[in-house]
Amino acid sequence: MTKRSDIDLLRNQSTRGQNGDIWNVAVDEYAQGFLKRRDLLKYAALLGLTGFAASQGLFTSGARAATAGGTVRVGLGQPTKAIDPVTITDPASIGVLSQVGEYLILDDPKDGLQPKLALSWEADETAKRWTFKLRPGVKFHDGRSVTAKDVVASFERLVDPASGSSALSAYKGILSKGGAKVVDDETVAFDLDQSNGNFPFYVSSDVYNAVILPADYAGDFEKNFNGTGPFKLDSFRPKQGASFVRNPDYWGDKALPDRVEIKFFDDEQAQVLALQAGQLDVIPSTTRLELAIEGNPNFKLLSVQASSHDPAHLRTDQAPFTDKRVRRALALTIDREAVVKGLLKDRAVVGNDTPFAPIFPSADPSVPQRKQDIAEAKRLLGEAGVPNGFEVTLTTERAYDIPDYAVIIQNFAKKAGIDIKLNVLPQDAYYGSATFGSSPWLDSNLGITDFGHRGTPDIFLNATLKSSGAWNAAHFNNPDYDALLLDYGKARDLQAQRVAAGKIQNLLLDETPLIISYFSQYSRIVSSKVEGVRFTAISHLLLDKVSFV
Amino acid sequence: MSGIASIAIVRPVAARAGSLLLTLWLVSALVFLAGQVLPGDVGRVMLGPFADAQSVAELNHKLGTDQPILLQYWHWFSRAITGDFGDSLSMRAPVVPFVLQGIRNSAALAGVVLLFLVPIGIGAGVAAGLRAGSLIDKLIVLTGVSLSIVPDFVSGLLLLMVFGLWLAWFPITGAAPDGAGFWTSSYYLILPALPLVLNLIGYVARMTRAGVIEARAADYTRTAILKGLSPSQVLFKHVLRNALVPTVAVIATQSGFLLGGLVVIEALFGIQGLGNLVLSAAKARDFPMLEAGVLVMATIFVSTAAIGDFLQALLDPRQRRRSAP
Repeated sequence: MTKRSDIDLLRNQSTRGQNGDIWNVAVDEYAQGFLKRRDLLKYAALLGLTGFAASQGLFTSGARAATAGGTVRVGLGQPTKAIDPVTITDPASIGVLSQVGEYLILDDPKDGLQPKLALSWEADETAKRWTFKLRPGVKFHDGRSVTAKDVVASFERLVDPASGSSALSAYKGILSKGGAKVVDDETVAFDLDQSNGNFPFYVSSDVYNAVILPADYAGDFEKNFNGTGPFKLDSFRPKQGASFVRNPDYWGDKALPDRVEIKFFDDEQAQVLALQAGQLDVIPSTTRLELAIEGNPNFKLLSVQASSHDPAHLRTDQAPFTDKRVRRALALTIDREAVVKGLLKDRAVVGNDTPFAPIFPSADPSVPQRKQDIAEAKRLLGEAGVPNGFEVTLTTERAYDIPDYAVIIQNFAKKAGIDIKLNVLPQDAYYGSATFGSSPWLDSNLGITDFGHRGTPDIFLNATLKSSGAWNAAHFNNPDYDALLLDYGKARDLQAQRVAAGKIQNLLLDETPLIISYFSQYSRIVSSKVEGVRFTAISHLLLDKVSFV
Repeated sequence: MSGIASIAIVRPVAARAGSLLLTLWLVSALVFLAGQVLPGDVGRVMLGPFADAQSVAELNHKLGTDQPILLQYWHWFSRAITGDFGDSLSMRAPVVPFVLQGIRNSAALAGVVLLFLVPIGIGAGVAAGLRAGSLIDKLIVLTGVSLSIVPDFVSGLLLLMVFGLWLAWFPITGAAPDGAGFWTSSYYLILPALPLVLNLIGYVARMTRAGVIEARAADYTRTAILKGLSPSQVLFKHVLRNALVPTVAVIATQSGFLLGGLVVIEALFGIQGLGNLVLSAAKARDFPMLEAGVLVMATIFVSTAAIGDFLQALLDPRQRRRSAP
């Protein structure tokens, strides 16, 4: 199809009221080449044009593979506590949960928002009220039907502080108790605390706690793992592992494998050895493990783009970083391409000191990329009155590649005369009590923190940079930024979002409260014998389409 | 055992039991206090650094971990006295089954280790002691020392790669599948046991060797030889019986260390023993679990030491004579 007739087809998507205008703006962007077709279709899903996006072949319809049957054997880390969707925080628990639990929407790393327990959704004109039509005929594993009551109860539980939900911070300022309402048996409405054009992401798998559970769920998930997913519980052994079998009553395509067997590992080396010995098919990946299987035809490394990043925060309210020229100078010492190539083996993309990862359609790609410039860094330091550099301590956590990254920053900074001392703490010591005043993470002068993938930049923008943000380790207090953030939140169409994003990106480059050198991909290592392993960048593991070669 | 001997045993056993109880009480209080200096609180650790402060406060309130430390300790202590160790905070289930599982798995691993360690260690020690100064003696001592300086996580990984991966003689994990019988479970534990055997074998062999050399030079051995006893009678009745006294004590204390949980080996081989239990409980600030695990460990250490002393007394005629009234 020519692009011209394609655009006509896109224009003819009969849409409702407000969304129609926004859609047309997006189509214009596509016509002018500002938006990739794939991003446009992802955007269609956000607006609730799910049927259309599906018709365009965006959502993988899950073509049936040739062979059903077999057992998928999975290695995961050790869950840190009892598996309860409301409170989980660790990747291993999310991997287990994704066998049995489902969301209203799946945020697929390749295809964007995919309707699961919700069939369609739309916002009112203010984007303050969102209405979701539920998929009919879905049953929990215990045989009961999923109704709007269950969906509302699932979200009410997550926004109730008394439930000890670990999703409360994700919903803060967006959805409060009483916000989710039953319209009828198959319709749910959400009245938000403030307009939010990205709300579908908040009820998607991006908030991994938002699994739909029965209304009478009492926190005893490990007893029966009662969800709606393609697999159901066979047996669970705390600290050892779990096994699941195909759910014959699943609403969608039945799972191909007969069984999924999950084993928990305390040690990643043991995990990779078990994979190499043919005792596992899928394991999570780390840079170090990837070295162990590199070039080995028996294994594949699968990666998805993500917004995961490890920002270095510079305390804007404490010497030496009160002067933004000093902050910019430090950012200018870093050779980002070298970090991506050397440390992250090209499984990352270069970052530009803002949380707007390239995978976010709202990011403004026209903002110039910051590059290493030692001469400029020295000039700025001279201007700021510290021509010979200064001494500073970088505090961080022993997690992932961060300690190595800290050493790299230390070496780059030396080139401009900045002398960085390293203070690497165990992860829980680094986070401390995670409140200002008793947390090296939030109190350190200069620090590096790990942030996992999110489907939208909203939470990064709000929690890490807003003056009142709970994770604002840079102690960044900038009224202009806070105002721009409000504009960004109000922007309903992509063009307006990009304009607001561009202003934020430029302001952050100028102020440099954070240094973000890269956005890393999320990877898993799988045996070459298995096909169809899918996963999200926040550790969901989708095995219903797996077949064996 | 004669009546006189049993009376002689009662008093030391009672004294031991008393000191054990005191030790346990001190340990339990120390664990509680140590928990106060760890960063973060239970709710924060459970919900993660990105959870809302309000959620964390609610959870701490629900768990009772926002109460004053002495009150928390008293609550725990008064229940523990009655044998109620409460529920694990992180696993949301009673503590006791987890601890029992930990004891079972640690004991199985320790059993397999001893199965190899005792015969090989003592055999090598006797062989070296009987030929003190010879080439074979030097070889045994040197091998033992060399093996004992290789840390268990290094030898564990090497053994895993050689026997688990390349030769594929053994499974990679030490945890047998559900419902495995005694022999299968033991087979799964051979690989995890080996690094520990290698680590301790030199120690046991050296102790035995020293005992043998000392016993062969002793007056009672000369007397026995002069009495005209056969060499084998001399060896087993006189030399070994006396030579093995220190070895038995060493094996007993090492058993305590083996039973008391081996964090590295358990993590590497995925064995849910006491070491693993205590480590993950500490990470999760799961005090009921941590307390129960540490108390079991302390009990094991104190009892194995006591058993070692008792066996030593049983074997050493001089000590038997001393404890007689």
